[in-house]
Amino acid sequence: MENDFFLNGSALHFEPPSSSSPSLPTWHYLSSAAMDIPVSSDQPQQQQQDCFYNPSWEKSTIDHNHHHHALQFDSALSSMVSSPAASNSNLSNDNFVIRELIGKLGSIGNAGEISSYMNGNNNSTNTSCYSTPLSSPPKLNIPPPLMKDKLPMALNSSVAEFSADPGFAERAAKFSCFGSRSFNGRSSRQVGINNNADFTQRSSPLMENGKLSRVSSSPSLKALGSQMENKNSPLNSQEESTISEQNPNGESGVKPSPPDMNSRKRKTSSKGKPKENPPKAAEANEDSSAKRSKPNEGEGHENGQVKGEEESKGGNNNGGDEKQSKSSNSKPPEPPKDYIHVRARRGQATDSHSLAERVRREKISERMKLLQDLVPGCNKVTGKALMLDEIINYVQSLQRQVEFLSMKLSSVNTRLDVSIDNLISKDIFQSNNSLAHQAAIFPLDSSATAFFGPNPAIHNTIPNGTVNHPMESLDSALCQSLGFQLPSMNGFNEGASQYPMTFCEEDLHAIVQMGFGQTENRKTPTQSPSYNGSSQISHMKVEL
Amino acid sequence: MSSSLISNPVTNTDLTKRRKKKKAQLKQQLEEQNHIKWKSPAQQQIYSSKLHQALARVNLRSSASAAGDAPRRGKAVREAADRVLAVTAKGKTRWSRAILTNRLKLKFRKHKRQRITAAAAGPARSKKPRVSVLRLKGKSLPAVQRKVRFLGRLVPGCRKQPMPVILEEAIDYISALEMQVRAMSTLADLLSGSTASGGSSSSSAPPS
Repeated sequence: MENDFFLNGSALHFEPPSSSSPSLPTWHYLSSAAMDIPVSSDQPQQQQQDCFYNPSWEKSTIDHNHHHHALQFDSALSSMVSSPAASNSNLSNDNFVIRELIGKLGSIGNAGEISSYMNGNNNSTNTSCYSTPLSSPPKLNIPPPLMKDKLPMALNSSVAEFSADPGFAERAAKFSCFGSRSFNGRSSRQVGINNNADFTQRSSPLMENGKLSRVSSSPSLKALGSQMENKNSPLNSQEESTISEQNPNGESGVKPSPPDMNSRKRKTSSKGKPKENPPKAAEANEDSSAKRSKPNEGEGHENGQVKGEEESKGGNNNGGDEKQSKSSNSKPPEPPKDYIHVRARRGQATDSHSLAERVRREKISERMKLLQDLVPGCNKVTGKALMLDEIINYVQSLQRQVEFLSMKLSSVNTRLDVSIDNLISKDIFQSNNSLAHQAAIFPLDSSATAFFGPNPAIHNTIPNGTVNHPMESLDSALCQSLGFQLPSMNGFNEGASQYPMTFCEEDLHAIVQMGFGQTENRKTPTQSPSYNGSSQISHMKVEL
Repeated sequence: MSSSLISNPVTNTDLTKRRKKKKAQLKQQLEEQNHIKWKSPAQQQIYSSKLHQALARVNLRSSASAAGDAPRRGKAVREAADRVLAVTAKGKTRWSRAILTNRLKLKFRKHKRQRITAAAAGPARSKKPRVSVLRLKGKSLPAVQRKVRFLGRLVPGCRKQPMPVILEEAIDYISALEMQVRAMSTLADLLSGSTASGGSSSSSAPPS
């Protein structure tokens, strides 16, 4: 069958390109020669495959020699390419037929000249439906001018563009693969099986995206009319855009497309998308359109001219429209607003109110945990109420401490001179630095305990009733800080007599005198455990 | 990575963007935990230095105005300390902003406030839980709610805030207070120590 067609096709080659009106027949003949499906605009029975070819083939056989298969095939092809479809309706049919023919042509392949021809011009067969083969021999250059006469201008422009882009050849080849599915064996000739596989895999998912993107990409196309038109016209525009955009990396761009798919769906970055998507979309659309009716193809070709003009626009639009389409197609995983999305756990109520309540409760419990870590002594306590009690007590104690220290500082400040301030500032930095490093290490000296003397006075100043536990950690820190300084203040005892003068507060008077009266305070070790850490520290503070 | 970069420019940039966003978010989260920063020695140093300057100013002011009352000076010191603490907090928390704004308000009503605060210093310090007020109002809030409200009154600037806000402010406020106590005690010790030693024989005071 194929051989017959081939022979017939070869016979058909003899139809001279000179035939002007019969260019259509030649075209059809050629296509029919390669393919099973008859393509003939002359005869009304276009759908009939077999009977179609026969008359034309017969004619060809009668008219022409069989010798110059290749040459005439080329010429026929060129004429076929150049000769416009007889009518739009025919064109549509022709396109469809041509696609199939091309697909089969590739499968045939074995035919010497044709195969070589096809190999040489992978896309020539494919492009022949649409335009001149890209790498076609010079003979085919003639047809393009002829095309202008017959084909719609769109087709001419499209052809020119197609011819301009070698990448299109590959894509067209892939397209034919899509159309016929018989190209898989021939994929090696074309870009690669991978691409085909990719395309086939991605064709279905791409189709939707591609279609939708195409639909939305070119508003002018929509204005043209039917949806099919729009779909196909964007396809053509995409093709043209890709062609014009010169995607030498089309293949490479195509290959990584699968991983890009998801990323593109997720993200709306248009980098490289206009280039990558058009080919994919083109292929997807090609695939879809190939399966679909052909009239759109012709119409698409008609619109191809317009598309050609809109290539850049289409490319740009594709980026945005693809974003839209993809965003519409792929439900954005991220919420559009800044809502915290909560998922109901298993076995829990899914009511919105309960969900919000749960979120609120979780927030509060999280903060309570932080507070528990912060406030010493809260570990033993369980329950929010008790913990809050502890926290309140702790805050109150801290505030009281601050007040006490401020009083102390004010009293100390009265004796401050400007010069001393400068010295102290340096001391502060040094002490703070040293404290930072040694606070955790420095143990309490015995001298430190010596200053724990007078407790009752301090008790009066600082109510310890509720401040027992929370102050322990703070006391340890203070002890360490003070402990470090204590050795440096051993000269302290000497100057202790001055303290009653420094501290104006009545309590401090008694405290200091009592404290310094005791060099060794046996009481302190026994008393210290009975004291709250805070009281001890406060003692130390007072005495110092 | 280079190959992947070349092959997937789009995805790579997206991935890097994602990573950068995540890193930025993590950093933000860490920074948001301000209560941790209060424990850093750097914070203490900053606070101490600022406090020292503020105290010097207070001294000048008090000496200039000849305010001999210890409580008044103590109050001034306390206020200065709180203000410095709020400044160190960089105004990121409500209580710090409330403290700073309160100071401004108080400045305008200084005399009135001083008298009132001096008079109410004693009883106000006790900070008894004001359950009676609530009972008068006729409300009996749950215990937790009541306590949280009370805590909100303790923390400056959080009187009418909702519960989670109060808890969050309390976390930061407690850390800040701890740092303040540490710094002030250290400062007091140093000052007292230096003055004490300076009086006799300066051993701790380094030569300028």
